[in-house]
Amino acid sequence: MDARILVVDDDPALAEMIGIVLKAENFEPIFCADGSQAFAAFTSSRPDLVLLDLMLPGMDGIEVCDQIRAESGVPIIMLTAKSDTTDVVKGLESGADDYIVKPFNPKELVARIRTRLRPSTVVAAAVTGPLLIGDIELDVAGHEVRRGDGRINLTPLEFDLLNALASKPQQVFTREMLLEQVWGYHYKADTRLVNVHVQRLRAKVEEDPDNPRIVMTVRGVGYRAGAVVQPATSG
Amino acid sequence: MATSAAPARTSRSSRSGRSHIGPFLAREWRAWPRQIVGWWRLSLQFRTIVITIGLTTVALLGAGIYTSVSIGNDLFHSRLNQVLLDANQAAKTAQTIFDASDSSNDGSVSTLLNSAQTKITSSSSSRLIAIYAAPGQDQTATSFLPFASPALTTGVVSDDLKAEVTAGAGTQTLYWQSVVLPNGSGGTDPGIIVGSPLSIPSGGQYQLYLGYNLADSAQTLSFVQQTLWIAGLLLTLLIALVAWVIVRLVIEPIKVAAEVSEKLADGELEVRIPEKGDDIIATLARSFNGMADSMQGQITQLAELSQLQQRFVSDVSHELRTPLTTIRLAGDLLYDKRESFEPAIGRTAELLHTQTVRFELLLSDLLEISRFDAGSADLNIEPTSLVRLAVDAIDQMRPLAEAAGSEMRIFAPGGHVEVEIDARRIRRIVTNLLGNAIEHGEGRAILVSIDSNVSAIAIAVRDYGIGMSTEDAERVFERFWRADPSRKRTIGGTGLGLAISLEDATLHGGQLEVWSEPGAGSCFRLTLPRVHGRPVGTSPLPLPPEDTDESDPVEDTGAHLLTRSYDPTHTFDEPVELQPDAERAGG
Repeated sequence: MDARILVVDDDPALAEMIGIVLKAENFEPIFCADGSQAFAAFTSSRPDLVLLDLMLPGMDGIEVCDQIRAESGVPIIMLTAKSDTTDVVKGLESGADDYIVKPFNPKELVARIRTRLRPSTVVAAAVTGPLLIGDIELDVAGHEVRRGDGRINLTPLEFDLLNALASKPQQVFTREMLLEQVWGYHYKADTRLVNVHVQRLRAKVEEDPDNPRIVMTVRGVGYRAGAVVQPATSG
Repeated sequence: MATSAAPARTSRSSRSGRSHIGPFLAREWRAWPRQIVGWWRLSLQFRTIVITIGLTTVALLGAGIYTSVSIGNDLFHSRLNQVLLDANQAAKTAQTIFDASDSSNDGSVSTLLNSAQTKITSSSSSRLIAIYAAPGQDQTATSFLPFASPALTTGVVSDDLKAEVTAGAGTQTLYWQSVVLPNGSGGTDPGIIVGSPLSIPSGGQYQLYLGYNLADSAQTLSFVQQTLWIAGLLLTLLIALVAWVIVRLVIEPIKVAAEVSEKLADGELEVRIPEKGDDIIATLARSFNGMADSMQGQITQLAELSQLQQRFVSDVSHELRTPLTTIRLAGDLLYDKRESFEPAIGRTAELLHTQTVRFELLLSDLLEISRFDAGSADLNIEPTSLVRLAVDAIDQMRPLAEAAGSEMRIFAPGGHVEVEIDARRIRRIVTNLLGNAIEHGEGRAILVSIDSNVSAIAIAVRDYGIGMSTEDAERVFERFWRADPSRKRTIGGTGLGLAISLEDATLHGGQLEVWSEPGAGSCFRLTLPRVHGRPVGTSPLPLPPEDTDESDPVEDTGAHLLTRSYDPTHTFDEPVELQPDAERAGG
């Protein structure tokens, strides 16, 4: 496997311990203890995933998250000592894919990392040809999303989310179903994950995020794919 | 969750008002009394002015009437004296003429009377003169034709006066009476008639009547009255104005004080009353401001303390959790390898693992409690089906229940609708209640009932285990309280579970209650408002539960439900046939 994982945490003991756990699972950990150097460490090491502590010296974890997101869609998992609403939501809104509340156990950590590293499970049933959702085209094999000729940049997580909805256009997905399919949670989890990421996704794919046509809300239940619209100019 | 709000309807806004003006005004008039009652109740200013005007009017009216009456009396009496003097003079003149003559024939009497009349006319101020022969005399006297001015002919001289004058014959007495005299322009004037007996030594008894017009005096009186009225009205208005000014002077600062204290109560701690001068109002303002200052100081201090405490809790949370995470990771690594250690070390790794988990639970519970204490716990409300939530919680607790030998059943005649709750907190309550039921259930069945009514939704967790005494049940929500310290703990709660559950329920505006009886088991009932923020009303589930007499009543209640499939389109409140546990694995 040998996926490279950047661990941004200022506590040396915890960083080392996480390193031990990761190595035991055949990951390759890279460490950074300072928020202000985190982005430099990211650009130089090009990791496959970032474990990011929210409370850092030098620079806030949320700012680091913003910086990395501006550059790349690499999976980011926040390590947070707070499960308080505002901090978690702020982290998710700045682009983190998932979060783990300290203290966590090794199995939880590894499971979360694996879920984010593995290629989308939804694709497993190999689809021939592109998926359509609204006026958008999903090329699952090429991991590409297009509206007409324009390419839309999505993070892998956002792609998974859209893919999950597009692959079953008739189905209404509850937040719990999406948590299970996209985030790999098998029981109770934070539905804010879904809410925040649906918003981020809409900001990218919807022409008018206040009046969504791609990711539709089904009030009181969840979300479903918008009806397919044949693009005016087919590319 | 993005929700699309329906556009507000505005179709009723435009409507012609012309045809409504008539009824509208009428309604306005009818509403006046209520409006005035409203002002009376609400406005001190209005009340003070109305009272002032009322009392002033009464006082001025009294003074005015008294003045008017006494002036009227005075005018009348002075005029009367004048009139009597005048009449006396006239009567005397006439009598003197009569006394000086001695003729006794008719012609000379007539001449005598005529000359007397001329004399009277010239000497008296009155132009209204009448001379009658006194009744009850012989023919010689009555042969005289009565003489009277036109104004005195038509019954102006009353019979009473005539009788009096007749009775006083032979004396020089004057008799008078107030009368209404017709005046030249067809109206009437007040007047006085003075009657006097005259006697002609050889010609018999005659009566002289003189009429005096009091129109001048009446005019003077009405002028005085008019002046009094105008003066009174002006005075009333002036006093009302003075009252209004004074009340304004006093009320205005009070109004300002009331507004300021309202703002203060709304949390605008920096507002103050302007201090002007050294009077009582300024003293009020100063002491009010002093109070506000000290209150602001204390509140700020408390807020700072609370903020400090919350910061401390947050810092402790971070500082404790990071090393605990390292310990947890290390402990788990060792725990996973415990088979390869020698038994004592292996057992040590096991203990390290379980106690780290316990420490972790304790820490998170403590943080949760401190969040409640700091008032920083917030609800994350979303529409949730309580039945579905309970089914999830039961699934989660199933391994523990199976280990204890308890069978968990759910009976849900209602509660399938989605209600506004914080799913995380309610799930925590249900899981906690289930954990308690498993721990104290002695391996017997556990029944979860859910039902709803108009205002509330309730879930009750019933076990048939050892139960508690009433005293114990009363203390069960206390922090770190244990029913029986000697009992071995299997699930290993922190002792804060029910305290947190109670806080969670209270945060929702709901209730968490317990019924328990030694040997009969316990029942915890959570009642939540159906719509967040509304009152709970009565709980749809009974407490104590209906089955307290039976040992294993689950079969009788028809609770055959284990897990129900979830269909988001369902909004019914009746129980449905549920399928066994196969549903949830699939996507």
